[in-house]
Amino acid sequence: MFAIIAAKDLRELTRDGRLLWAGGLVVMLMLVALAAGWNRQVQLNSERSAGQALDYNAWLHQGYRHPHDAAEQGMHVFKPEPSLAVFDPGIGPFVGSTVWLQAHRQSEVKFRPAQDATGLQRFGELSPAWLLQVLLPLLIIVIGFNSASDERERGTLRQLLSLGAPARSLLFGKAAALASCVGILIAPVGLAFAVLIVARLPAGERVDVVYRITWLAAGYGLYLGFFVFLTLAVSALARSSRAALVLLLGFWVAATLIAPRTASEATNLLYPTPSRLDFDAQLTHDIADAGRKAWSAHFGARTQWDPSVPLSKWGAALKVDDEAGYGALDENFGRLWDTFERQQRAQGWVGVVAPVVALRGFSMGLAGTDFSQHRDFSTAAEAQRRKIQNIVSEDLIEHADRLGNAHFTRLAPSCGQACRNSSTNFRLCRLPWRIIGRALCCLP
Amino acid sequence: MKTMQPRPLSTLSLVVLHEARILVRDRTLLLVCCVLALMVGYGLFVGLAQATLRERMVAQVLKHERETQTANSGTLQSVLAGQTALIPFANPANPAAMAGTLSGRYATMPNAPLAALAIGQSDMMPNYYRITYLSKVQFMYDTEIENPWNLLSGHFDLAFVIVFVLPLLVTTLGYNLLSAEREHGTLRMLCSQPLSVATLMIGKVVVRVLALLAIVIPVPLVVLLLIRPEARSAEQLVLMLSWSALVAAYGLFWFAVAALVNTFGRSSSTNALIMVALWTIFVLILPVTMNLAVGLVSPAPSRTELASRTRVATAESLREYEDLYSADYRYASDPEALLVKDERIEVPSRMRGFFLAKQKVDEQIEPLLKRFDQQLLQQQKLVDRLSLLSPAMLINEALTSIAGTDSRRFLAFKDQTEAFHKRWRQYFSPRILESRAMTVRDLSSLPRWHWVEMPASEIRWSIWWRAMLMLALASVLGGLALARSSRGSIE
Repeated sequence: MFAIIAAKDLRELTRDGRLLWAGGLVVMLMLVALAAGWNRQVQLNSERSAGQALDYNAWLHQGYRHPHDAAEQGMHVFKPEPSLAVFDPGIGPFVGSTVWLQAHRQSEVKFRPAQDATGLQRFGELSPAWLLQVLLPLLIIVIGFNSASDERERGTLRQLLSLGAPARSLLFGKAAALASCVGILIAPVGLAFAVLIVARLPAGERVDVVYRITWLAAGYGLYLGFFVFLTLAVSALARSSRAALVLLLGFWVAATLIAPRTASEATNLLYPTPSRLDFDAQLTHDIADAGRKAWSAHFGARTQWDPSVPLSKWGAALKVDDEAGYGALDENFGRLWDTFERQQRAQGWVGVVAPVVALRGFSMGLAGTDFSQHRDFSTAAEAQRRKIQNIVSEDLIEHADRLGNAHFTRLAPSCGQACRNSSTNFRLCRLPWRIIGRALCCLP
Repeated sequence: MKTMQPRPLSTLSLVVLHEARILVRDRTLLLVCCVLALMVGYGLFVGLAQATLRERMVAQVLKHERETQTANSGTLQSVLAGQTALIPFANPANPAAMAGTLSGRYATMPNAPLAALAIGQSDMMPNYYRITYLSKVQFMYDTEIENPWNLLSGHFDLAFVIVFVLPLLVTTLGYNLLSAEREHGTLRMLCSQPLSVATLMIGKVVVRVLALLAIVIPVPLVVLLLIRPEARSAEQLVLMLSWSALVAAYGLFWFAVAALVNTFGRSSSTNALIMVALWTIFVLILPVTMNLAVGLVSPAPSRTELASRTRVATAESLREYEDLYSADYRYASDPEALLVKDERIEVPSRMRGFFLAKQKVDEQIEPLLKRFDQQLLQQQKLVDRLSLLSPAMLINEALTSIAGTDSRRFLAFKDQTEAFHKRWRQYFSPRILESRAMTVRDLSSLPRWHWVEMPASEIRWSIWWRAMLMLALASVLGGLALARSSRGSIE
């Protein structure tokens, strides 16, 4: 009975123009989104890996120079795009991708793509995830709003029930028909995309991506399933097809359009984001404070320019100064990022009434394009910077500037005694760059 | 039937009155108006909160600037009088320190008076930059701090209510203009009266348009006029007028669409479906697709390339001035070396090296940076042209430019900041190179920042033609609907 009902409903739906037009549009958009996302990702990744290699190469071949100057030049690290970002770019357009690891201060991840885009970007990004989250529920509503109410309005429901068709079979049959309509539209594209993505990956990463894709499929299945049953329930309970349509569209507008914005405004009030000015002022103040304390603890001096800190101690001094700042950096950035995460967690509760909010976080998390992933990268980049700083300072401690007042001076490889001394010095100096380079290669 | 219309105007007013009575009794109108009023109020509140935030930031920055200046001139006086110990990198007599770490100069862009009407790009683009001799790549890419998740969701501001929600409310009120009458069987009865369907439709639309626009237009403007004195100037009043014209034209456009859809004689449900489909295409699909298209047709230059070039330029300039970096550095043990003598001061060569190196980096990176800005302007031009495809894009662009939160104004700000940055360097360059000490008089004559507002005529023109275009579109669709309505079936 269930199969017969499903087959009959499915035939009806496929004969109806709504599915053909709306479904065709969705599939076309999906293909465009996938092609554009794919193209963008291939280009970005090749650019970034080339950039990374160039930067690293330049770092290795910078020749003989004072370690602190090398740290001043620093190097760039680029955030790799996860392969599933084609499916869901997540917060990608609104966070940067490049960090310049330089001396003295934690750099932020720069270059948000949205800064290089017009105001149109704020309408949203055309991605497969956006289509599935926003447009497909609308499609389900549009093709399914009258599937139960129509039977009642035409009087066929009474006939069906009088024939002994169980109500449950009727419901599940109709649900199956609706679901298979959606399935016909997205399954082939989705499957082809999944195979393509997995096939392009090195064997080691495949299991992870397949695992993620499986969970994504389950999550989106649940989400769309919710809309299928909601549509049927409203269609069965509403007074008329028209009332069902108005109710369902009202819910869709409220849940997918209004709820995410209202939620983000509300959590901003709950956990306010600091302005750049306040954040910078606090950070500068904390670093200076920590620096002063460390200076007086280690050298008994109040400033870096106290005569009691001879230049030969500048390696140690730099190290103390840097390390004093680490705590302040961790605390301030940690607080900011915690605020972001707290805001997002609070919005998770809105997901109870507006499933799109919950799904969005879930989808981004699996695609590797959510904030925690970004935070991970920022933390790793900062750890890398500190590693470079420490090596540079250690080098300065071991090979303190010996030319009296000529601080920050690279010893010129000239002849005589200085030459022999300095040549050992240089070998030691250069060694760390290779270590740093190697460590960088391991950066996720 | 047309011959039986002796006084069309009085018939129209009769229809309007009758329709108003029905809508009030029906409670639909009341409900829709309440929802709209609530959203307009909330959107305005969000916009005002954001505008106040930016305003406070500019005020804070300016206060910081004044404080730094006072502190600097205080320190300078006591340094010159020999009362303060000399610190090499924090000595205001040293022009390199004044140009860099001690500089308290900011470039700021004030809010436009109507900023609360649309948040636009203001949550992402900075409205102030700290000016030092540092390279542009070091300070021009600071952005405002905002949770990226919230940027992705977007703000619930007035522009959102107008662009996204208003058409949906128009749909709620207008999808069954004629179809409901037909379904209730009252259209036949009405047509038997001395009344044309066109008059009937106009009457129905007039009531609904007036009800919606009476909320969405005056509420924000009155609130702004009451609490923002700067919004009361003649220029701003003209802008408000154009804002009203835009919103009215956008509302009329969607009513015209609803009227046209109703003339096809389909059921109410089908009409609602068609309206929602059109809304989805115009407001959701077209803008996102066009965003993609703009990116493809006129792509931004590669940021990765910029990063690599910056690094190369930095490395080169570091190498070029290496000798300066490593020159004599005895100030820690001999602070007397930093005393001002005959209006001259020894600028530590490392600082001079930094100054020159940063300048060099900018010279090399400049062409690439220019390309980014030019490309963004190019994209903006493309968007202007493409926005003819969708009224939502058309009005969104216009609303943000009235509020002064569009990319163009931020680009202009960036442009002016770059010019000021150049002036700042030019002011210090001879002083640093010739080791001229800063005097107390110098401190009060440092280059000053002045924001030059974009020419109002340009904005005004682009807004009015958009409003006129939308109005023309609405009247063509409306005319079509009226022409069709006289031929439509009543069954």
